[in-house]
Amino acid sequence: MSDTADQTVVETPQGAGKSDMIVLEGVEKIYPGSTAPAVSQLDMAIPQGEIVMLIGPSGCGKTTTLKMINRLIEPTSGRILLDGKDVTHVNGDSLRREIGYVIQQGGLFPHFSIADNIGVVPKMLGWDKQRIRERADELLHLVGLEPSVFRDRYPRQLSGGQQQRIGVARALAADPPVMLMDEPFGAIDPITRDRLQDEFLEIQRTVGKTIAFVTHDLQEAVKLGDKIAVFATGRLEQYADPETILTRPANDFVSDFVGGGAAVRRLSLLDLARLELQPIETDEKAAGSRNGTAVVEIDGSGKPVSWRHLPSGDAAGTPLVTVPISGTVYDAVDVMLDGGASLVAVVDEEGRAQGVLHWNDLVGGLRTRARGA
Amino acid sequence: MSAPAAPVVGPTDVEPQEEAKTQSTFARLWFQHYDLVILPAIIVLVLGFLFVYVSTRQLDTIELRVLAPDNVLGLLRQHLLLAALSTILVLIIAVPVGILLSRRAARRVQGPVLAIGGFAQALPPFGVLLLMAFAFNFGVTTAVIGLTLAALLPVLRNTVIGLQQVDQSLIEAARGMGMSSRQTLFRVELPLAVPVIVAGLRVALVLNVGTATLASYIGAGGLGELVQQALRLNRINVLLVAGGIIAAVALLIDWLAGVAERVVVARSG
Repeated sequence: MSDTADQTVVETPQGAGKSDMIVLEGVEKIYPGSTAPAVSQLDMAIPQGEIVMLIGPSGCGKTTTLKMINRLIEPTSGRILLDGKDVTHVNGDSLRREIGYVIQQGGLFPHFSIADNIGVVPKMLGWDKQRIRERADELLHLVGLEPSVFRDRYPRQLSGGQQQRIGVARALAADPPVMLMDEPFGAIDPITRDRLQDEFLEIQRTVGKTIAFVTHDLQEAVKLGDKIAVFATGRLEQYADPETILTRPANDFVSDFVGGGAAVRRLSLLDLARLELQPIETDEKAAGSRNGTAVVEIDGSGKPVSWRHLPSGDAAGTPLVTVPISGTVYDAVDVMLDGGASLVAVVDEEGRAQGVLHWNDLVGGLRTRARGA
Repeated sequence: MSAPAAPVVGPTDVEPQEEAKTQSTFARLWFQHYDLVILPAIIVLVLGFLFVYVSTRQLDTIELRVLAPDNVLGLLRQHLLLAALSTILVLIIAVPVGILLSRRAARRVQGPVLAIGGFAQALPPFGVLLLMAFAFNFGVTTAVIGLTLAALLPVLRNTVIGLQQVDQSLIEAARGMGMSSRQTLFRVELPLAVPVIVAGLRVALVLNVGTATLASYIGAGGLGELVQQALRLNRINVLLVAGGIIAAVALLIDWLAGVAERVVVARSG
């Protein structure tokens, strides 16, 4: 798989005009009474608008690193730059008001209403009540909770997933450019977690924050991360995009951490929505361009029913199988093997064809789209 | 639950729907808290019996004088004042000290200070009151100080425990959002510790109401005075009334504190 990785398009090309939002320079943390550093000589830069996943076994320094960015933990040495500004010695409290912070289960205050929870930072920043209320409503909308229903409720009246949504909304309240997330979806059941992750990516598409995100879940890291930073006992072992981490681990530690079968595992981690699919056309408008484009026949409601033309020929002999675009490449492969088809039509929620994934694409290198494009 | 029809006071043109809502709210409150009715009922019953019993007796002039409403109510007021003052003092001293003890810097002295509090509570209040009266003065001030010392521990301990049981992740969330340690204390830690602190205050208050009976021995008055008068004059009827009132007051205060506690807990979730 190593030669195909070269063809993989990294989502965010380096040096594409993005400045580094968070920069750690030679950052080190030695806890009192301990000789070994929890984090040693860490150099790391997080470009603006990207999600960087910090991952590693427990005690590897990922959480310490996260908390040094907003100086909940003071670094022993080194420099931290935020948007080019050295924040190693500024007032910690006011620094933290300008950085969103999300923890496991949301960390909502049980004695505050939902609106008051969201308004914590704006209130400290001295916003007037009207503005705080409007902002809370706006954010409730953003995270998909109806303001009139949830505004005045208390955290205990919400499910874990809803609490976590509020946790994210609260971190976004003062519109900070940077967000730190400490295993926010860690204590949530897998199905809800999956949905929250999808929603989180959706929100990130609109807000475009620079995010450092601690997780212990490789699947989550690959799904959410623009980049992944793999930590081991205080050292950064590899810092690269998910594809590279999975296909070209930098050393034995990373390859052990990623585990065997990385190439297959990668399939279940790649969302179809993130792929550059081959084009597909429906019969009406396909009149002229019948050479390289697959054409499907659709029924009255726009759902594909059969292949009319395939670039490879034999449209009649190829069964039409479909997979929802919300699925992963793994699902697509499953459908293809199951239906004995060498290609699959990817459809949206209404069942309309969005593109084609061909068996050869899998071995030829999958192309992912730039996020938000 | 045929709750006694809620006394729907007010305009008669209330929408039936709204009326039903009031009814159901009342029913819900009744259902959750009907146990609160038991104690006052018993108190009223016992005091009623006492009243009926005493009024059927032929009381002599001494008894009539001691049991005159003026005398009894005056002593009751003194008694409540003693209990209230000492409880307020406990609140003023124990809560701030408890807060200080719960701070990270004071973790080391926490154990010894709580031990001293335990020691103060273990001392028999009667002895302490007498010794203090001889050392300082007979009177209300000394009584209040003695009562305060004896009741410090429950509030001190509950303040420390109440603050310690606040979920660390909430404190971290507060700090992570940029609250200063002071803001975190006043906006997050203390509000969440209030139910536990209030439980401690309730214990202190009840303790003080009981112990205040002994204040009469150092000339600070209170319902203990009634007992002393009864014993001095050898009037069993007076003793009966005194005992009944002291018990009723203690129970009633505990009940009130219990109601207050429920309100606080309901508020802070």
